[in-house]
Amino acid sequence: MAFQVHQPETVEEAIRLAGEFGPDAGFLAGGTDLIIQINRKRCAPRHLIALGGIDGLSGIELHTHEIALGALTTHKTIEQSPIFEGPLAALTEAACVVGGHQIRNVATIGGNVVNASPAADLLPPLLALDASVVLVGGRGTRRLSIAEFLRGPGITDRSDDELLVSLALARPPRRAATAFIKTGRRRAMEIAIVCVATLLELDDAGSCRTVRIALGAVGPTAMRMPEAEHALLGCEPTQAALREAGRIAAACCAPISDVRASADYRRMLVQALVPRALARCLQRIEVSRQ
Amino acid sequence: MNKLPLLLRINGEMHDVLVEQYWSLLHVLRDVLGLTGTKENCLEAECGVCTVLLDGKAVNSCILLAVQCRGRDILTVEGLGRPGNLHKLQQAFIDYGAAQCGYCTPGMLLVAKSWLDEHPGVVPEPDAVREAIAGTLCRCTGYQKIVDAICSAAARVQEPG
Repeated sequence: MAFQVHQPETVEEAIRLAGEFGPDAGFLAGGTDLIIQINRKRCAPRHLIALGGIDGLSGIELHTHEIALGALTTHKTIEQSPIFEGPLAALTEAACVVGGHQIRNVATIGGNVVNASPAADLLPPLLALDASVVLVGGRGTRRLSIAEFLRGPGITDRSDDELLVSLALARPPRRAATAFIKTGRRRAMEIAIVCVATLLELDDAGSCRTVRIALGAVGPTAMRMPEAEHALLGCEPTQAALREAGRIAAACCAPISDVRASADYRRMLVQALVPRALARCLQRIEVSRQ
Repeated sequence: MNKLPLLLRINGEMHDVLVEQYWSLLHVLRDVLGLTGTKENCLEAECGVCTVLLDGKAVNSCILLAVQCRGRDILTVEGLGRPGNLHKLQQAFIDYGAAQCGYCTPGMLLVAKSWLDEHPGVVPEPDAVREAIAGTLCRCTGYQKIVDAICSAAARVQEPG
């Protein structure tokens, strides 16, 4: 293991370095995955472009219609920020089950997204919150939805000279709630067997106006489950309706069998956890009305 | 590759070191500076024995590059307390017999300090402490005494040093 570390102070400089070194370079944020992958000789970048010295890549900005999260915002910051209470709770619930404290203190949201692990904990809540990524590269800035950004396991739409600088979350509608549930063999330091994030918004009559169901670790990327969502739209969220959404999600997801669990077990979990997460959203909407 | 000069602030003292760019902070602490209180084990941020505080926050020094620590404040177990002037967590670990082989103890102490500092004035429930130390493994499995010691330390007032 021998690489050169570059410590640019601006985004422009970071992108210039990335353009110069191409596939020989990697951006270093928290390093909680990258350094381990290098140590395991799974990758061998000759240049690391450390982002820690660039001002403005961390922090949370509140705008009228959306919330911007700097790419270097740590899981711990998300866990502790009161901004994510209420309708954004799924993001906090996901952030606080990533690794131990030592990991959450340095691991960043940008790193978790760019890594594009099918089991990344933050991706289902970001999908449920309809988040976008903002990429800055040699050819300018572009913005695309998380769903467009994720292309496969560890594969994204980002080119070598593009830096993910921030994520944008649309502020959830007034009468909406979110929830996140993760399963693993223990409750901490785990790679998810399945994770589920849901967003539910009710109309004045109490029917489902917005439904978003996102799953992790049951397909090549974290993904939304549009068929299950459509089944609930416009319906009263009865227990039977939530169970039906779970059944459809279990049928539509694409899990594999691996060291953590079998595909069949993952489908059983999806069938059980989707209704549970949706029911949690309902409870939260109820509580916020009181 | 040419080594880089690096000024590190460790336990309140400045250290001038020459480092390879790919060296971890753990390597610099143990093998350059001889601060062997910080332990080395999995080198994959799984076990937590290499935990130090970086700007007051618990981090795994095995996957942190030394060059990322320029200008930042590092605390290792050597700086937590001294014989005759122990940190309240160290005293509680002694009182409760919370060290068996002792290999995880520096990491346990520092992750506990980081948690207590994040939750000033809180005397935690045992479950909260178990969650706090989830990333720090004790292979003697003496967790109960460690949890008891941390809960007890949270309730103690730190003696002025």
